Amino acid sequence: MFDRLIALDPETLEPKPFLAKSWELSEDGLELTLHLHEGVMAYKLAEDGTVVPVEEINAEDVVFTFEWIADPANASPNMPKVTGWMEKVEALDDYTVKFTLKFPYAPILARLNYFGIVPKDTFLEMGAEAFNSNPVGSGPFVFKEWRRGEILCMVKNPYYWIKEPYLDEVCIKPIPELATAVLALEKGEIDITDMLPAPDIPRLRENPDIVVDQCPSLTYFYVGFNDTLSPYNDVRFRKAVYQSFSMDEAVESIFMGLTGIRAYGAVPPTLWANDREWLRENAALPENDEEAEKLFAELREEGVLPEPFRPVIYTPPDPRRIKLATIIATNLIVDHHIEAAVQPLEWGAYLDLLYRSEEKPEGEAGIYIIGWGYELPDPDDGLYPLFHSDNAIIGSANNMSFYKNPEVDALIDKARSTLDRKVREENYVKAQRIIFGQDYVHIPAYHYIETNGVRTWVHDFKVSAMGDMRICDPFVNVWVDERSSRK
Amino acid sequence: MLSYVIRRLLQMGLVLLGVTILLFIIMKLAPGDPARIMAGMRGTPEVIEAIRHKLGLDRPLHVQYWRFLTELLTGKLESMTFHMPVKDLILQRLPATVELGFAGFLLAIIISIPAGIISALRRNSLIDYSVTTFALVGISTPVFWTALILMIFISVQLDLLPVCGRGETLWGWSILTLDGLKHLIIPAVALSSVLMAMNTRLTRASMLEVLRQDYITTARSKGLKEWVVILRHAFRNALLPVVTNAGMQFSEVLFAGAVLTETTTAWPGVGRLMFEAIARRDQTVVFGLTFLMAFGFVLFYLIVDILYAYIDPRITYD
Repeated sequence: MFDRLIALDPETLEPKPFLAKSWELSEDGLELTLHLHEGVMAYKLAEDGTVVPVEEINAEDVVFTFEWIADPANASPNMPKVTGWMEKVEALDDYTVKFTLKFPYAPILARLNYFGIVPKDTFLEMGAEAFNSNPVGSGPFVFKEWRRGEILCMVKNPYYWIKEPYLDEVCIKPIPELATAVLALEKGEIDITDMLPAPDIPRLRENPDIVVDQCPSLTYFYVGFNDTLSPYNDVRFRKAVYQSFSMDEAVESIFMGLTGIRAYGAVPPTLWANDREWLRENAALPENDEEAEKLFAELREEGVLPEPFRPVIYTPPDPRRIKLATIIATNLIVDHHIEAAVQPLEWGAYLDLLYRSEEKPEGEAGIYIIGWGYELPDPDDGLYPLFHSDNAIIGSANNMSFYKNPEVDALIDKARSTLDRKVREENYVKAQRIIFGQDYVHIPAYHYIETNGVRTWVHDFKVSAMGDMRICDPFVNVWVDERSSRK
Repeated sequence: MLSYVIRRLLQMGLVLLGVTILLFIIMKLAPGDPARIMAGMRGTPEVIEAIRHKLGLDRPLHVQYWRFLTELLTGKLESMTFHMPVKDLILQRLPATVELGFAGFLLAIIISIPAGIISALRRNSLIDYSVTTFALVGISTPVFWTALILMIFISVQLDLLPVCGRGETLWGWSILTLDGLKHLIIPAVALSSVLMAMNTRLTRASMLEVLRQDYITTARSKGLKEWVVILRHAFRNALLPVVTNAGMQFSEVLFAGAVLTETTTAWPGVGRLMFEAIARRDQTVVFGLTFLMAFGFVLFYLIVDILYAYIDPRITYD
């Protein structure tokens, strides 16, 4: 329903023009000036069912959108995603916007893909709550109805400024149970679903009416260690745990080679600077019980491992992570006589535990399993939040290990504030080699494979590494043929 | 009777007040900070604090409670995460729950009571064994499994009914459309399977108990027709525990929803809403829904108690 300033190429994930038809970045990287298309209108569905124009989207709306998000009074969860880099935003004229950045933020163009631009006058007239329930934008579809928990429907905007959408209506149905979603897809009640469970994929691949579309996603799941609590902050302990089991076999058993691939670093293989080959050959530790036991014995002798030692591996309520934790715990118990336990926690309690508290700043969780979803196709969106000491904050840590290495900080800082891709890549690679090849802060586990099930009567739809579903934008215009059950 | 009802209604007010206090305490003691969850994984301390302030979660507890209570009673309570009034959110979902609850309950009663009676009358016969086996399977089978099996065979294999969801509605009610009725069948049958099983067993046990009584022998010896003995004498006396249980079941599915059934069949009822609200730590929605459930339970128990007096003339209230 909304357009963004920048689009991402579906193949390369590179920034492309969208509402902004062109832009210039100053040499020092601190000012980004964007030139907008003229005559782009926001539309809504009138009571008689016709699509009617509401107001033009121009520079004032862009300024309003970003300032609204950045205003603490609005308590937008997206606030850090703007205030982290934006110093100010201004409209130089009706169709020119200038962002002044706090520092040369290299992923700025990718970041501008994240936000839909909102029509200011309409938003202020309706109020935030009413607008949220009845959104108005310049996108290819206009809002029709939303029955929360049941269905959200949009109808086509025939006047969309880029192209007229082929589809007359698009509805989104939340189906909480994956097995039910798969059945609905098989029956043809829905056209597309994501997160297909691995056990269903072989059967669905044999269904001539369904295409299973996959690509590696921008996610990273890992086993983390508390870098401020003994013995978890000892690199020997971390290496010992790493070598006490086979992560390759664990990932294979969990995903059956279908919906997840082994991770060797925090940057997914679809992104540059992933350094996957080097990390696999030089940093990844295969199962080696003898070496692991040697390290545990050394730690026991030095008194680093307390007696008795009963580590708990914490996980969220996700069957895959629980399975991984169980594999690790079982290997520790059986092969190394360490009475490990697995503790799944509901998300609220889990985040409370990992984010720590002022009363217990060193934290309680020694080993935990968690994941990270990239919002931008840029290595900075994973490496900075997860490993920079800026983000080891009690009460909201993304760097949940509270890992602090000034050398890694300096490398990440250098990489995120230069616009030279080659320099960025060099620094991210060096940082990862320290994180995963020297300090073993995490045991990298897996990246999801984004897996969509699509009826064959749907055309021009491709699975996206970003996890979004593109129906109509500068690159795609999905359509269905006469076999569609809703024609 | 009237004074009894008035007394119970007054007690209801106190019970509900107690429920709100207890609920508020539990919500505040439960782990998981709503502001942190709403801020998401990338939330900074600033945005978490901003959310907390906007939602009034940084006010003293007694101020928060008073605000929750007064806004609840005046219908102004706002959801923290769904961005709409709690009243509207519940009203949007309530028709779905009422439809599913009534349909599942009626189906269960229509089948279970005659089955329980017949099973008791034909004790130790093939019919009795079939009914008790069916009841055992019904109680033992998880409702989500039943729902999935029905979806696989009836929806996908036989293509007779839709897989999931609620279908078309008219004035917010899906039972007013053919498409909506078709969508209701599988969730209602799945839900009724558990209710049916319990009611069948209870009816059978209750009938067997009553049929052993002396007054039944007396009624037969007086030459009354068998159907009169069964329905007017035995069944009416056996009804009390069945009514109690049915009342409990009905208020449970009506006001608490049927979380597993709703989740498996993507039925947008209040049970699923409660589950979602708890996961999101949407305290206002949890508060409003729990209040509604408590109100429903207390009211239904009152209705059940009144029904007792009509079923059994020996029971009086003063």
